[in-house]
Amino acid sequence: MNKHIIMTAALIGALTATAAYAYPDRPIQIVVPYSAGGGTDLSMRLLAESMQRHIPGATVIVRNQPGGGGAIGTSAIIHARADGYTVGAGAQGPLALLPHLGSADYTLDDVEFIGLVGRNLQVMIACKDAPFTDFDSFMAYAKEKAPQIGNSGAGGANHISTEAFAKAAGIKVESVPFGGSSEAMTACAGGHIQAMVASPAEALEQVKAGTVKPLFVEEEGRIDLFPDTPSAKEKGVDFTWSSWKGIIAPKGIPEADLHILRDGLKAAVADEEFQKKMNDLGEFVQYEDADAYKARARHDSVTAEAVIKDLGMYQMNK
Amino acid sequence: MDYLAYLLPLFQPQVLWAIALGTLGGIVIGALPGLTATMGVALLIPLTFGMPPVMGINMLIGIYIGGIYGGCISAILLRTPGTPASAATVLDGYPMARNGEAGKALGMATIASACGMLFASIVLATLAPQLAGVALKFGAPEYFALALFGLTIIASLSGDILKGAISGCLGVLISCVGADPISGVLRYTFGVSGFASGFSFTPALIGLFALSEVFTQLERLGRTEETPAKVSGRWPSYQDMRESANALVRGSLIGTIIGVIPGTGSGTASWISYNEARRTSKTPERFGTGYAPGIAATESANSAVCAGALIPLLALGIPGDVVTAVLMGGLMIQGLAPGPMLFETRPDIIVGIFGGTFLATIFMFVFGMMLIPIASKILLVPRRILTMSIVVFCFIGSFAINLNPVDLYTMVGFGILGWGMQKYGFSQAALCIALILGPLAEANLRRGLLQTGDDLVAFVSGPITLLFLGLTVISLALPYLQARRAKRAAA
Repeated sequence: MNKHIIMTAALIGALTATAAYAYPDRPIQIVVPYSAGGGTDLSMRLLAESMQRHIPGATVIVRNQPGGGGAIGTSAIIHARADGYTVGAGAQGPLALLPHLGSADYTLDDVEFIGLVGRNLQVMIACKDAPFTDFDSFMAYAKEKAPQIGNSGAGGANHISTEAFAKAAGIKVESVPFGGSSEAMTACAGGHIQAMVASPAEALEQVKAGTVKPLFVEEEGRIDLFPDTPSAKEKGVDFTWSSWKGIIAPKGIPEADLHILRDGLKAAVADEEFQKKMNDLGEFVQYEDADAYKARARHDSVTAEAVIKDLGMYQMNK
Repeated sequence: MDYLAYLLPLFQPQVLWAIALGTLGGIVIGALPGLTATMGVALLIPLTFGMPPVMGINMLIGIYIGGIYGGCISAILLRTPGTPASAATVLDGYPMARNGEAGKALGMATIASACGMLFASIVLATLAPQLAGVALKFGAPEYFALALFGLTIIASLSGDILKGAISGCLGVLISCVGADPISGVLRYTFGVSGFASGFSFTPALIGLFALSEVFTQLERLGRTEETPAKVSGRWPSYQDMRESANALVRGSLIGTIIGVIPGTGSGTASWISYNEARRTSKTPERFGTGYAPGIAATESANSAVCAGALIPLLALGIPGDVVTAVLMGGLMIQGLAPGPMLFETRPDIIVGIFGGTFLATIFMFVFGMMLIPIASKILLVPRRILTMSIVVFCFIGSFAINLNPVDLYTMVGFGILGWGMQKYGFSQAALCIALILGPLAEANLRRGLLQTGDDLVAFVSGPITLLFLGLTVISLALPYLQARRAKRAAA
């Protein structure tokens, strides 16, 4: 009889201990679907450090799971155990594009959005020796002939967004795919292609050195780094595009823990030291809550779907 | 005089400590299969946030240099290339270790690495802005011609031309798995999403060279009990050095030039250098049997690539390979965007980096030489235990790279393939070269033809393209011409 009481007491004790546990009591993993050292990876490492300071008691670590243009790691995030200890970097390519190409085993509906961390603004640049130097001469050229525009990979965000711009502006382009944006930038600085889309930080040094010229930015208005460069929108082409990354998680995380994560992320992104480091890295920090992030992903997904269908690439890898 | 003043901060004790620690850490990371110099640099970037720029960047460069060197340790002792760059070192390093000359092989590798690094660092410090222009001359046709030239190594490396060609073609076919470089369509993945990026390179090499050797050992184990190999010595003899001098110079030069060309990498450099050393040697038949100049050629080249790759990074802001791309991140986080402007606005940083590469090279040499007796003790472990430990390393190393279970299948598959090839006299080296250069050739051929509108004449019209295509023809035809002349002379 005594034994029973002790057992029951122990059981109740164990249960209450479980109920009263405080998330997080073990390390939170941020899965990055790209190799160590890239822009997304470095941003996430900075974020992990900041989140650690803003979620009480948390240890936040980064795990790289590259491959398949981000599909492998993103799938791992979405199909992870929904206990709040596995979250991941949700980037534009794997979330908004890959499902339309048929190379992902998930859709946007499977994603729990935590919050947006940053965007990569886009600027179209004229490469060395290109036959155009500003927006107007570029458009005039592209009405006649298709300029060769380099991108960082076939079917990637860089490729699709350029085709989407061509569609919106009513011009022809010939996309030349490269294995990554630094390969494309090498070809651009050497004059082997005529134009490409780059992030402002990537382009800035080359522009300063005079090798390449900025044509237009793909934002609503002008941006700080290139105050003299028009936006496509002010020139009458209704087109904006930026790539982005945030934190996503599998669906089904307990509501209370989700709150801790979302609040923690918000504070971590607002952190001054984080913002400074991100700025130095050339990243554009912008926080958006889960709903705005989700809406952004949906919007780009719809734009991309139409372009991918036009290119005949819809579900090509199914 | 300013320049000397810029070098002074390097000699503060904490900066020296950081470089030394980075280099030592790099060597360990490079020696462990599955941990690469890239990962080492990426993982340690957060550590450098709080450091002054010269200290932080040079610590990263130390890891980079140490990491590329460290790869030769496991390649020589265990036939397990820790980094793709050291795959070619396996050819002569491992036979030397089996012949009881492990210490000497490692010593040669250390000396060669230091030579290559020193040569390339001097070039970096004196000619960086001038040479950087070369990097920009390479468009798709030029890359294709270079890759094609590299592929001709297969013909001269394999004793049996037909079997060599079969291995090479197989390698090119295998490298087609994964996303098509131009259209993005997935090829030959059979619906397995893990293969979407193709077979991962390092797991494939680990299987091809290390696991296959384990299988071969297993076949022998039951029959003979081998005595543990001797591991004495660490300095190559005067004779070795004299024979290797030619290989060292050529390797350093080839490595530096390949390093300057973005996107070709140290794997390419070591194979081209190995082939050149063999081609110009008086005793080419001794290559592949444990011949010191073979190691001198590959290690000098792959180390020279390190400093060579810093040239386009610093002078143009263009990273030549993955590691330098990561280094660029490390620089930018310090608020220093590399590019032509950096030379003018922050000469102190540039000179600091130049000085840092020299210091890291010296540390690499000292630590490398000190570690030889410790590292080569591993060969005293009884063969059967060592063999089983290598199996464990193969699996851990292959998984650690991408945390992708599919890589384990890749590793085992390539292990079985490599074992079969070894057994029936097909060259594993040929397959390895094709895996490295096949994708470079394919992507650039198709990209170039896309840009010229499928005009072959326009494609091959550039001077650099013609130069490399000419070299390709010569390197294929020369053995035949020489053989014919020899026959005529004999007759």
